[in-house]
Amino acid sequence: MIFLLMLPALIMLVFSFWDISKSKYLFPITSLLILIPSIRLFFLPKPYSVWGDYLVVDKLSEYIMLVSSIVAICVTLAVSTLDLHVKISKSENAKFYRFFAIFWIGLTASILANNMGVYWIGLETATLSTVYMIKTNQTLAAKKEAWNYMIVGAIAISLILFGIILIYASAKPILGENAMSFSALLQNAKHIKSPFLFEIGFAITTLGMFIKMGFFPMNLWLANIERASFYPIAALFSGILESAVIVGFFRFSKIASIINHQHVFIFVFTYTALTIFIVSFLIYRAKDFMRLFSLSGVEHMAIIALFWASGGIFPALLHFGAHAFLKPALFLSTGILESKGKYRIAGALKGYSGVSGKVFYFLTGLFLLAIVSIPPSPMFFSELYGFGAMIDIAKVNKHLLLMIGAIIILLGLLSIIFYKFVEIYQSMKYEGEEKQKVVYGNEVFALVIFALSLLFLLTPWSFEFLRSIS
Amino acid sequence: MTSFLIGAFLATLISALFTSRLYGLILWYSLNSLSLALLAISIGFKIDDNTMIISGFLTLIVKSAVIPYILKKVSIKFGLARQITPNVPVYYSIMLIPALLVFTFYLAEPITNMMSSNANYVAISISALFLSLLLIIEHKNIAAKIIGFLTIENSLFLLGTTATNGMPMLVELGIFFDLLMAIVIINLLFKSEELS
Repeated sequence: MIFLLMLPALIMLVFSFWDISKSKYLFPITSLLILIPSIRLFFLPKPYSVWGDYLVVDKLSEYIMLVSSIVAICVTLAVSTLDLHVKISKSENAKFYRFFAIFWIGLTASILANNMGVYWIGLETATLSTVYMIKTNQTLAAKKEAWNYMIVGAIAISLILFGIILIYASAKPILGENAMSFSALLQNAKHIKSPFLFEIGFAITTLGMFIKMGFFPMNLWLANIERASFYPIAALFSGILESAVIVGFFRFSKIASIINHQHVFIFVFTYTALTIFIVSFLIYRAKDFMRLFSLSGVEHMAIIALFWASGGIFPALLHFGAHAFLKPALFLSTGILESKGKYRIAGALKGYSGVSGKVFYFLTGLFLLAIVSIPPSPMFFSELYGFGAMIDIAKVNKHLLLMIGAIIILLGLLSIIFYKFVEIYQSMKYEGEEKQKVVYGNEVFALVIFALSLLFLLTPWSFEFLRSIS
Repeated sequence: MTSFLIGAFLATLISALFTSRLYGLILWYSLNSLSLALLAISIGFKIDDNTMIISGFLTLIVKSAVIPYILKKVSIKFGLARQITPNVPVYYSIMLIPALLVFTFYLAEPITNMMSSNANYVAISISALFLSLLLIIEHKNIAAKIIGFLTIENSLFLLGTTATNGMPMLVELGIFFDLLMAIVIINLLFKSEELS
C-alpha cells in the first residue's frame, strides 16, 4: 500500500526532469493514480497499518486523504494550462511538478501519521517543498514572500516540534518510546503523570499550527504569500496543506480533551474568536480576489477548529470537506478571472461564451455563494450543526447565556463576511465592461469535479460516514 | 562536563547575537552545534543510550561541519553581504538578553519542577529558543535569519536531549533529513535569485 500511495509522486518526480511541453499532459493522468489507493483504503479494515505503527489509516485519515487526493487531481488538471494564463518559464513549470511530488510525499506522511515525529517530518517536508513553489513566480513580491514563508513557516513548524517534545516528555515515563504514538497517547492520556506539561506542550503545538494557518496574530502573512504566488499554489495551500495542519490539531486536541476538555475549549474558543474578529474586518477591506479568498480560508479554518473543540466532530469534518473543495475551486477560478495578472472585480464574471464559458460562469458564481453558506451549501449545514454543538457544550458547562451571546457576536462577524462576498458577486455579475475571456476545457473539468464532490458531501452516505468518525 | 557544555551552548548563542560579520556568525553557529553534539554524546554515554550517541555524532558531522561549510560556500558563491549589523543596538541587547534568560527561568519553573533530571537544562533550551527568535528578529539580512532558523533547530535538539533523554532514532533522522532539505531549498532560492 505504501508503494501505491507514493507511486504517483515518484512518477511525477521522474517526469519533471523531461521536456515539460510533452510531460505536462502526463501529470494530470499520473495524479489520477492518487485516487486508487485513497479509494482502496475505504475497503480495508480499520485501523490499517501502512507502515508499522508509524503510518496507520483510520476513518479520519482516509477521509482527509480522499479529500486531498481530489483537490490534488483538480489542481494538476488546472496547472496544465497555467502557462496560457500567466508568464512562466518551462523550467519553473517543471519545478512546480517536481516540488509538488515532494509535497505529496510529505503530505501523505503527515495525514496518515500515527506518530507525532512522523507527522512533524511530513509537515516540514510539505512546508519546505512549497517554499520553492512560491518562487516559480518570478516577481519581486514572490521572491520576498518565499523568504518570508521560509522564515515564518520555520518558526511555526519549530513551535510544533517544541510542543511535541514537551508532550513526549510528559508521557515518556509511562509509555517509553511509545509516547510518540497518537493511538498510545489516546489510550493512556488519563494516566499521564504531568498533565500540566502535556497541556503546555499542546498549547505550544497548537500555537504553531494556528500560526501556520494564519490565525491571530499572524493574519496577513498567508494572504500575502497566496497573493504573490501563482493561483494553483494558493489552491494547494488552502485545499491540501492546511488540511495536513488541521489533521494534527484534530489528533492533538482529541488527546488533550481527555486530559481536560474545558481547558482545550476555552483556549481554542478564545483564539478562534479573536481570529474571526480580526479576519472579518480584513475581509471587509480586501480589494482583490486572492486576498479575499485567502482571508476567508483563515476564517473557515478557525470555524472548523472551533466546532471540533466544541465536540462537534461531524460539523467540523463536513465544514472541512466543503472548505477543502470550495476554496481551491475559487482560487483556480481566480486564476482564470485574473488572466495575465490583471484583476478587476467589476464585470469579472462577464464575457464568458460557449459551453465551457457558461459552465465556468455558472460554477464560479455557485462557489462564491456556497462559501458564504447559502443553502444548500454543505457549509450551511455544518454551521447549523456546529453552533448546535456549541450550545450543547454550554448546557453541560452551565454557561448557556454566555454561549448564546458569543454565538450572536460570531454570527454578526460572519454577516460582515457574507455582506462582502454578496457585494463582490453582484459587482462581478452586474457592473463593469464586458470583454471576451477565455477558459479552457481542463479548467472547467476541474471545477466540475469540485462541484460533484461538493454534491456528494451532501448525500446521506457521506453524512453517515462523517458521523461514524465521531 | 555537562554543565560546562550547556554553558558553552548558551555562550556561543549569545555571542552570535552580538556578531556583526556573517562569517563570524557562521563560526558561532558551528561552535554552538559542536557544544550541542558533545553534550549529546556525553549524556548518551552517561545514560548508555546508543541512539543519543549516534545523534550526537551526526550533529557533529552535519551541523558543526557540513552545514557551516555549505553556508560559507553559498555566501561566497552568491556574494552575500558580510557586514550584518543587528537592528537592535548592542546596549539594548545587553539588557534584553539577561532579561529574557530570567524571564524564561521564571516561565519554565512549573515545568522544571516536574522533571526528574536535567531540570535547569529545559529552562536553558527554552531560553535558547527565545534567543534564536531574537536573532531572526534583530537582523534584516536573510543569511542571518537562516542561521537564526538553524539555531532554533539546535534549541529544539537540546530540549529533546535534556527533557526526554533523546527522541526516537527515526524522528532524529527525519529531523536531520528535513534540515538538509531546508539547506537545499535555501541554496535553490539564492540560485534562482542570482539567475533572475
